[in-house]
Amino acid sequence: MTIAAPSFDNNPCRPRHFKPPPCAPVIPEGPARKALEACRARLFLTSVLFACVFAAVALRIVEVVLLDSGGAQSHMPRFRMPAPPTPARADIVDRNGKLLAATLDSPSVYANPKQILDPAAATRKLVRAFPSLNAAELYTKLTSGKSFVYIKRHLTPKEQYEVNQLGIAGVQFQHEERRVYPDGTLTAHVVGYTGIDNNGFAGIERGLDDTLKDRRDPLQLSLDLRIQYVLREELQRVIDDFTAKGAAGLIMDVNTGEVLSMVSLPDFDPNRPGVPDPEYPALPLADRMFNRNTLGVYELGSIFKIFTVAMALDYGTSTLASTYDASRGINIGRFTIGDYHGKHRVLSVPEILMYSSNIGAAKMAMAAGGQRQREFLARLGLLKTPKIEVAEIGAPHFPAKWREVNVMTIAFGHGISVTPLSFASAAAALVNGGILRPATLIKLPPGYAPPGQQVIAPKTSEQMRKLMRLVVEHGTGTMAAAPGYVVGGKTGTADKISGRHYAERKLLSSFVGVFPINDPKYLVLTMVDEPHPNKQSHGYATAGWTVAPATSRIVQRIAPLLGVQPVDEASPEIQKALMVESLQGKRVENY
Amino acid sequence: MIRLGSLFWLVLVSATGLAMFGVKYQVQALEDELARTRRVITAEEREIRVLEAEWAYLTRPETLDTMNRRFTSLAPISTKQLHATVADIPMRPPPQAPQPAPAPLEPLVAAAEPNAAPSVSLGLAEAVPQAPPAEMPVNTVAEPPPTQSALRAMPALLQRPAAAPQLARAVPAKVVAKPSPSRRAKSLDDLIAQIMASR
Repeated sequence: MTIAAPSFDNNPCRPRHFKPPPCAPVIPEGPARKALEACRARLFLTSVLFACVFAAVALRIVEVVLLDSGGAQSHMPRFRMPAPPTPARADIVDRNGKLLAATLDSPSVYANPKQILDPAAATRKLVRAFPSLNAAELYTKLTSGKSFVYIKRHLTPKEQYEVNQLGIAGVQFQHEERRVYPDGTLTAHVVGYTGIDNNGFAGIERGLDDTLKDRRDPLQLSLDLRIQYVLREELQRVIDDFTAKGAAGLIMDVNTGEVLSMVSLPDFDPNRPGVPDPEYPALPLADRMFNRNTLGVYELGSIFKIFTVAMALDYGTSTLASTYDASRGINIGRFTIGDYHGKHRVLSVPEILMYSSNIGAAKMAMAAGGQRQREFLARLGLLKTPKIEVAEIGAPHFPAKWREVNVMTIAFGHGISVTPLSFASAAAALVNGGILRPATLIKLPPGYAPPGQQVIAPKTSEQMRKLMRLVVEHGTGTMAAAPGYVVGGKTGTADKISGRHYAERKLLSSFVGVFPINDPKYLVLTMVDEPHPNKQSHGYATAGWTVAPATSRIVQRIAPLLGVQPVDEASPEIQKALMVESLQGKRVENY
Repeated sequence: MIRLGSLFWLVLVSATGLAMFGVKYQVQALEDELARTRRVITAEEREIRVLEAEWAYLTRPETLDTMNRRFTSLAPISTKQLHATVADIPMRPPPQAPQPAPAPLEPLVAAAEPNAAPSVSLGLAEAVPQAPPAEMPVNTVAEPPPTQSALRAMPALLQRPAAAPQLARAVPAKVVAKPSPSRRAKSLDDLIAQIMASR
């Protein structure tokens, strides 16, 4: 504020346009001057403060606009961005990315009865739109006076449109999601299913429920849908041909433990788990949902002999040249162990496996001893509950006290029950060089083999490959041969237990096949429950006539899909690689 | 009277204010549009999910099998079809002066190679030195002995037999020289890759 010199301004004669020249204010001495100076100081301070604030604002603007530090988002609720849709559960895909389970929107329609003006009319309209609704029940709901009642859950887009067309006030939609399984029954036991609130109830959906809820990316399984289809079709054919009760099959990569296919029949539709299957109208739901591969434990019978032979060879209690007298059955207590395909003579170790001699296997196991047998089976993981991603897992049954009779029966696969999954893992270890790897249903990165445990010597594994080839070339499994793919394997036909006794007429036929056995890649385990002989099988329902031919068909169909190149089985390299030295020069008698 | 300076600041302030409001409304409009677009994207993504599920349903192995039986009746690959692989198909042997019988495919493969001479002249050039002119057109007149009409079809060759060896000497040299040794295909896949790269 300037203080003009009073002498000029007070001059009444001063012309209007005349302004006194500016001059420094004359500040009187005393308290006024002090007050003025204080004022000036305050002004200066305030202006510095403002300058600082404005500078800060300016800097911030520069930062936000030019440097784009990411803070330039609107904080007003009006502009809040709608979040991208997050499916409540991750999708499940097969190893080639084919969709197995997806989460889709399916809104539910609900009503607020307090807002409904004419419940009777609303009921009429809704029942016309959804004939499945019960009119009386709906009317009670709409007049209940609550503020939220479900009318129908999980509508299709068409149904949603229809409800919108009805235009009833107080009827609204709630956003909900629903699990859809495009492949239906094909992967039912592996993938499993979810309940109405999208909680996993079975299979992977239950076993990996938390993972699926947390994940956004699809979960990739080791399953191959094409192979799954082939396996299911062939097993269904075995069931139809031999009027069997059920069947199970498993295809595994022997070098990684990945399960490429897992089928259990009869099965169910995970989209409608409660609805009876038209193919098996009388079958209870629990039977169809039962996963024979992971939950079922079975006395698998003669296919167990591969473990007996591997044990004897690995401990060195037998060699390929050892012989055992199988001319007469073994009497032990009230049991008599006999041979189904009896040769009634002295058999060498390869012959015991080829002709599936129970007597020979029992004697081999006795020679090794029960302690070794038990220890060997434990090492192969057959005495503990297997680990896999599905929720349904069965624990093995085996005698708590390993008596002499148990040693003998376990040698040919009776008196011990394991899941087909445990069996497959252990059998894969026998042929892949002796490394036991955990079975998995999750796809592993290409070229990666999970760390395993060396359970048998690589030399024993090589001998087992040769012996399993022998079974298919000359033994009980000749019908499993698939020209070009060098299948090796072992048949097994077990009598089923019914009550406390073995039922003679009820069989469980199984076959374990590995191809190509000279360089093992894949293992095919098939099992059929209670097959009945038919005309083509000449009255047999044993593994050699039921699942062995199925294995041959499966191998021939899946090998091209898996990129296995067929070879000339008669070529000298393959013959040499699979030659059993102890049979050298002897005439091999065909089974 | 308002001083000029004050007027200037007043104008500037109102201009800034107006501009700010303008920008603000513009931003609002843009954000509205963004939100709208995101909603559309969300809806589209949901639709895509439904369509993916539908695609998976329509291409499940069972359906494909049924359709195959109805329309194409393709069979699984049999072992017989898999005896040979692409690697088993022999490559053209490196061009040497006296070549064994020329494979009919060679001119085509050579023509497909980058920088190669036109197929016609190449076909002539390679065929002529190893075979007398009458046997030359293996790929056109295969089994029957050259009749008059067939001979008449190739007057140039028959009339100037002396010229052919010259041409033959000249052109193979060119062909050999053109693709540098490092670029020669080692396998069929390699060759296809080269052809694709030259396009």
